[in-house]
Amino acid sequence: MYIRSAAAVSPQASFEALFTGAAGYQGEQLSCIEPDYTSYIDPKLIRRMSRIIKMGTAAAVESLKAAGLEQPEAIITGTAYGCLADTDAFLSRLVEFKEELLSPTAFIQSTHNTVAGQIALLLKCHRHNNTFVHKGFSFESALLEARTMMGENEITTALVGGVDEIIPASHALLRRFGLYRANGDSLRLVNEPAKGTMAGEGAAFFVVDTQQSANSLARLDALQTWYKPSTPNRVADGINALLAEQGIEWKDIDLIVAGRNGDTGDDALYDLFKKDIPETSFKQYCGEYPTATAFGLWLASHILHEQRVPGVEGLKPRRILLYNHYQQTHHAAYLLSAC
Amino acid sequence: MEQLMQTLKEQIIRQLNLNDKKPEDIGNDDPLFVEGLGLDSIDALELIVLLQQEYKIKLANAEEGQTVFRSIRTMAQYITDRQAQDAAAS
Repeated sequence: MYIRSAAAVSPQASFEALFTGAAGYQGEQLSCIEPDYTSYIDPKLIRRMSRIIKMGTAAAVESLKAAGLEQPEAIITGTAYGCLADTDAFLSRLVEFKEELLSPTAFIQSTHNTVAGQIALLLKCHRHNNTFVHKGFSFESALLEARTMMGENEITTALVGGVDEIIPASHALLRRFGLYRANGDSLRLVNEPAKGTMAGEGAAFFVVDTQQSANSLARLDALQTWYKPSTPNRVADGINALLAEQGIEWKDIDLIVAGRNGDTGDDALYDLFKKDIPETSFKQYCGEYPTATAFGLWLASHILHEQRVPGVEGLKPRRILLYNHYQQTHHAAYLLSAC
Repeated sequence: MEQLMQTLKEQIIRQLNLNDKKPEDIGNDDPLFVEGLGLDSIDALELIVLLQQEYKIKLANAEEGQTVFRSIRTMAQYITDRQAQDAAAS
């Protein structure tokens, strides 16, 4: 499977901005830098869209534009939390108005598949449309479905994305679990391990294709997930097997893109893979959230295409291992090659 | 009536997130649906909620909506009539 284009609405302005001055955030969370949506979406549609829908739709439109594709053969998204702002609005009114006088718009837009649905409406695309809601595997599930459909010759192109947003109510609930550090500094997140990480959000979309094209960013050679591995070594063994299946060894990996989030407990697992291979990480740019690997894949794809690594001088990687785990339960490894 | 129409315009802009509109952009007799403001069936549901929430008025039947929601003036007239009926009944 080839990654023909990748676009993201994230806490960073662009891939280029990671070299000229990455955006840093203080406190508990990183928030998306939102574009002028009127250049992506009909203003008449914007008024009904909550932030996550606008973020997802803009990233999808940008990705399609970069790929030069008007109609994908499938639209597949992954989201753990879905459209939280609309869900919050709908449920709050349900309580406030004692289950009467409910706004239909918030109800309609509160479902997890709203982003994929809005993209389809915008494109007038009546093809396969699916959304996966599998916590830390939501994005991986979307990508795996695209790969499966391609393997069965059902499609040759797909628009695949991962989206999640932070709202005050969800953040307040998640912080009760002690997930976040109080006075975080995002750009130092990974370099200063401590208890807790910083929350993040974002929308990243990809046009994937069975065929390589002149502008393909990267080739996705393999993707594998492990749910609640019995021991950390099981993931290490799994990655070893993954490399063997591809006929390569660790020495063939030029760069590891790791999902380190600065939390000492979480980051200990990444140390299992220390193989004297250059490593970079991505959550200092996007924060921690269940579909953060979509941002990680966006970053890895652009690194391979542009042959530049933010924060690492002179490295021109041809093969990348992207490894991430979400709260030590959802582990995913992507093997990518330059085109 | 003029004050009620002004209030209705402000409430509709807020309820329907018509962020690019100001009350003065909406004529009292402009059609609300399709042409004019360009509202659609989901907006009609929002307007029904608005009537209930702000004026405690429930539409007697769905067909009424077509005439009631024709313009700001017809909405204001309907609210005024219903409030007068309710006052007379109580």
